[in-house]
Amino acid sequence: MTVTSEKTRIIALAGQPNTGKSTLFNRLTGAKQHVGNWPGKTVEQKSGNFVIGDRPYQLVDLPGTYSLTANSIEEKIARDFIVDEQPDVVVIMADASQLERSLYLLAEIKLLNVPSVLALNMMDVAEEQGKDINVEELEKGLGIKVLPLVAAKGEGVLEFLSAIEAVADKEIKTDTKADSIFKDDKLFNSVKSVITGKINSIFPEDWMVIKLIEGDAEVYGEIQQKISSQEWNKLFTLLNSVEDGQLHAAGLRYEWISNVLSKAVKKQEAVEKKSRGKRFDKIATHPVWGKVLAVLIMLFSFGAAMIVALPVMGGMQPLGKFLVSAVNSGLTSAPQWFVSLLADGLIPGVSVAIMMLGYIFGVYLVFSLLEDVGYVARLAYIFDNSMTKLGLHGKSFMPLLMSFGCNIAGVTGTRVIDTWQQRMVTLVMVSIVPCAALWAVISFIGTIFFSAAMPFIILILLVIMVLHLSLTSYLLRKFVVPGETSGLIMELPPYHKPNWKTIFGHVWVQVKSFFKRAVSLIAILSVVTWALSYRADGNMDLSILASIGKFFDPVTSFLGLDWRLFIALCAAMIAKEAALSVIAVLYGIGGATSITSFLLGGAAAGHAELASTIGSMVNPASALAFIFAFFFTVPCIGTVASIYSESKSLKWTFGSSLYYIVTSLIAGGIAYRVGLLIF
Amino acid sequence: MKSLDLFASGESGIIEKISGGGKFLSRATAMGFTPEADISVIRNGRRGPLIVKLRDTEIAIGRGEASKIEVKEAVK
Repeated sequence: MTVTSEKTRIIALAGQPNTGKSTLFNRLTGAKQHVGNWPGKTVEQKSGNFVIGDRPYQLVDLPGTYSLTANSIEEKIARDFIVDEQPDVVVIMADASQLERSLYLLAEIKLLNVPSVLALNMMDVAEEQGKDINVEELEKGLGIKVLPLVAAKGEGVLEFLSAIEAVADKEIKTDTKADSIFKDDKLFNSVKSVITGKINSIFPEDWMVIKLIEGDAEVYGEIQQKISSQEWNKLFTLLNSVEDGQLHAAGLRYEWISNVLSKAVKKQEAVEKKSRGKRFDKIATHPVWGKVLAVLIMLFSFGAAMIVALPVMGGMQPLGKFLVSAVNSGLTSAPQWFVSLLADGLIPGVSVAIMMLGYIFGVYLVFSLLEDVGYVARLAYIFDNSMTKLGLHGKSFMPLLMSFGCNIAGVTGTRVIDTWQQRMVTLVMVSIVPCAALWAVISFIGTIFFSAAMPFIILILLVIMVLHLSLTSYLLRKFVVPGETSGLIMELPPYHKPNWKTIFGHVWVQVKSFFKRAVSLIAILSVVTWALSYRADGNMDLSILASIGKFFDPVTSFLGLDWRLFIALCAAMIAKEAALSVIAVLYGIGGATSITSFLLGGAAAGHAELASTIGSMVNPASALAFIFAFFFTVPCIGTVASIYSESKSLKWTFGSSLYYIVTSLIAGGIAYRVGLLIF
Repeated sequence: MKSLDLFASGESGIIEKISGGGKFLSRATAMGFTPEADISVIRNGRRGPLIVKLRDTEIAIGRGEASKIEVKEAVK
């Protein structure tokens, strides 16, 4: 058949989580991907293009969901897309090794009357399990074209593409007789007889009927408007005749699936190999050894992230220094302020952003790997109990953990949490966790003043952190986002080999969005800080920045922070490391003249001098106050920007920032008072 | 018949009844928890969530959630 129209066809990719959707997506679209958010939502939308023959196709990846209720944003997005956009083909992805459960989504989509095919992934695993799947029987039973696949190895992809084309060309018809699932159900038929012909909706009638039975709020509202109150009463009595509509509908769907599978799948005695995964899982989910293993894996992960980041971080530092000295020596004829703008403001700012980028890349790479092989779900399981004590559940563990590496990664990591309430609570909590850069500053200052007592101080900081986390969670759940706390129901997917394409795809998206979001902000903030502190005569004491600091002095000195330390606290918004260089400059140490110069490491000599001078200029109680305030203060600008892009709410962004400022000043103030008693 | 959280590791049965709010039920049913489904308990310690297996899938389920699921013990 010759293709005359070049109109791009839309293919929607639906499927439950862990069925290999993104593997297939990457295989089909390669590098031609577009990643953004669903309009007005903070749910990631991926789409990509490919061609079959001459015709362009657009593949839209729907959020991975187990069903299609209106209860979660993801599920609503998926069903609205299918109904509103009427894609040419809906590909439903299922896991051949867990067919019974993963066909549930198909049983739902079937009622939406759209041309669809079933992509049956992980055929190799099913085979290992001793399952003999008869594809023709399955097609007959399900009423749609079935394509066996091993997406990870690319097996079956060609056949898959030609089937997509055939379905889109309407050469293969989808048997959309939805009533084969519910046709013998008394309730279904009675409800249908009440509303039939009276509802003019974008949703098919059978879908409306079953969603009424399930008590779907959206469909309820729509129907109530369209029928008389008499009919509504009749419906109401009918719907109340079963104990629970959701269980009723789900039961019928699974019954239908079981019937189809009983004809299509022959299970031989499984070739039960004691797989390595099983033995590992025994340890990974053990109440004691699981935690030991988790701690080891976490330590190893942060180490690995650091190693991955080293080339970028180690390379950027000398490059930045080189650029600074090149500007200083090369631009002798340019005005002094301009040279200073470049050498003290822009170059160090951008360099630090790029070094952060390298680090974030490392953190995402390592944690995406853990996610991809299936270990993260085990972490959530193992630490669910501890998280429950914080009013959260297991899925919040990963974002909090990643925060120890980088708060930005923690913030974006909250996407995996399924309820909005828990997600927002976790979102605010992750920034209370100290990131790696913050530790560097804390331990540097701490060792100067409290060398031997430092482990003790760190212990206290961690204890306060846990209390702070509990209190924050409590306050948020009590006053800001009240609602029932839902417990854990989470699939523990089978372990599998890492799929590097998927992993790098994910890392690339995260790093790119950090780049877009944060690099410019960090650069701008560096330049602003530079502008506020610049004096042609180099006397920082008279700069605007200094007068701002001195303006707040009455308040901050009450908390034990003199204006220099206070400014250092503020400048840490650029990046936590900036605090050190600000201190160096404001205390006039080591000939440091620019606030940002230390970002590029005034290196060892500078640090040593800083250590000896600051020790004599700041009293221990103030240093203690600074450590505590610094530990809990607002995260860096990159994190704040991420909070905004994840919450899409200025209220949450500013509200949380203000909260961090207030709590950190309280922490600093108390530490100061206690410090005064001790020292 | 007893609730799922009272099953020991290794025990199995058939789900009889599930109670709870609408959101819980919709999550639970989508994950495969429905009356008449075969279920076996893989791990049930003294605290924390359980690991169960049903419909070929391993699922971690909170203790509170598990207590809302009534299961009939399999005949040994």
